[in-house]
Amino acid sequence: MTIGSDQVKHVARLAEIGVEENELPRLVEQFNRIVDYVAQLDEVPADAQAQPFLAGPEATPLREDVVSPVRLARPPAAMAPEFADGFFLVPRHGAMEDL
Amino acid sequence: MTAAAIAREVGAQLAKADSAGLNATLHWSTECLEAEARRVDGMNTPGALHALPIAVKDNIVTIEEPTTCGSRILEGYLSPYTATAVRRLRAAGAMVACKANLDEFAMGSSTEHSAYGRVKNPLAHDRVPGGSSGGSAALVAADVVPAALGSETGGSVRQPASFCGVVGVKPTYGRVSRYGLVAFGSSLDCISVFGKTVDEATRVLAVMSGPDPLDATTVDRPPMKPAPAMASLQGLKVGLPREYFPTDLHPGVRAGLDRTVAVLRDLGATVSEVSLPHSKYAVPTYYIIAPAEAAANLARYDGVRYGVRKVGPEGNIGALYRATRGSGFGAEVRRRILIGTYVLSAGYYDAYYRKAQTVRALIAQDFQRVLGSNGVDLLLTPTTPTPAFKAGEKTEDPVQMYLADIFVCAISLAGLPALSLPVGRDQGLPIGAQLIAAAFDEPRLLAVAGLLERSLHGTEEVR
Repeated sequence: MTIGSDQVKHVARLAEIGVEENELPRLVEQFNRIVDYVAQLDEVPADAQAQPFLAGPEATPLREDVVSPVRLARPPAAMAPEFADGFFLVPRHGAMEDL
Repeated sequence: MTAAAIAREVGAQLAKADSAGLNATLHWSTECLEAEARRVDGMNTPGALHALPIAVKDNIVTIEEPTTCGSRILEGYLSPYTATAVRRLRAAGAMVACKANLDEFAMGSSTEHSAYGRVKNPLAHDRVPGGSSGGSAALVAADVVPAALGSETGGSVRQPASFCGVVGVKPTYGRVSRYGLVAFGSSLDCISVFGKTVDEATRVLAVMSGPDPLDATTVDRPPMKPAPAMASLQGLKVGLPREYFPTDLHPGVRAGLDRTVAVLRDLGATVSEVSLPHSKYAVPTYYIIAPAEAAANLARYDGVRYGVRKVGPEGNIGALYRATRGSGFGAEVRRRILIGTYVLSAGYYDAYYRKAQTVRALIAQDFQRVLGSNGVDLLLTPTTPTPAFKAGEKTEDPVQMYLADIFVCAISLAGLPALSLPVGRDQGLPIGAQLIAAAFDEPRLLAVAGLLERSLHGTEEVR
């Protein structure tokens, strides 16, 4: 299966990653090479069965449902590009067609 | 020797490594080293790692110095908290020496994908140190520090350990807290350790292991207790999985493994061939699951709450996301996020992601069968198919780069403990052998590796 540049652009939009037009040919070529490579999993029969695998503990440990303060060495305001009055500042959302 | 004197010596070694152009460090300062030394010299009782200097991969957060993950998108980022593993090491008397360079967000096998430049292999500057924890491996190999923290998602400590001729240990998934390890592939990520010898790696792992209420994926077991040193391997059963010894295996690597098998037999172990038939699918399985998890985990880098922000031409929030992420992430990270988004998208999820989860379970099942009660105690394989390759050799072909991890990533998918041990050199380049154990069998794995290390003379030429 060959993935074209329109499809790569669509995926980039889903992932919210800007891609310049001049980067596209190389990206499309590498994208196809990777997808062709991982497609070798088709060799494994579709009806292959195995116990579902989950690394780590068998069940998520539960703790007491109490809120304890998170001690942080620096506040969000010190890390955010723009922060005021307890809020992270961002540009306007714009009209629906912008999104 | 006081911690202050050790810290001064480490500072001199770090400066020497930087001026030699290794590019293995991202952040360190004399002030931080002195503060670490004052803290350790002021401890009432010496800890298990008293005054041990440790390099920390720059995707493990500390509050004193920036954590960039080797990415422009986190340039200058200062964490508001310290990773549990680092807190435990410090409480035992260890000193954080520096933050080490890495492939951006731990995505790579050569440490050529750092936004802050490639790391050189200290044994051959034209070659890569492996990756993604290449800075940590290089600092141990260059005798700057005796131990270092790295992280593994699909072999990122064992593979550079092999390329640099040091010991690299990946614990069982859930043995060490991931709290403070910047997430890449959460079902695979493990803080792991490099040591100049097995002993240093064992001591560090013992201190940082154990359950952590801040990471629900840690397993409720006490911290690892190292096993006593072994003098013989009588009664030990070691399996050689035939899929890990292809006919075109590099002759130097084969010679290193032959030598290791001979020493195992001399020490009394029984060595036999076994089969892990689904391991041949480990790399394609990994390159579906890890990017899928990365696409979700790296969605948080959006230029809003922390990190670098870039405003797009349209001036709205969507444009801000795309401009920030498009320019902040490097080519390999962007490629993996796009692949991960693709395999999770409607219409492709079943064909790729669900299929990869099934194959992951088959891979894990193979290991459980072979390392089960009627099977062998440990598995032995090459860590890498070749010694360290030349810088630039694989950067244009992502699939060729991914294949550098062909012998290590199945173990990550199965969540098992494994290590790479230097077993000799081929034309001066280190060869690593990988030992793999059943879940939570690290004490025996490390004790066997310790005896092999004493018996093998891992810096000798293998042919």
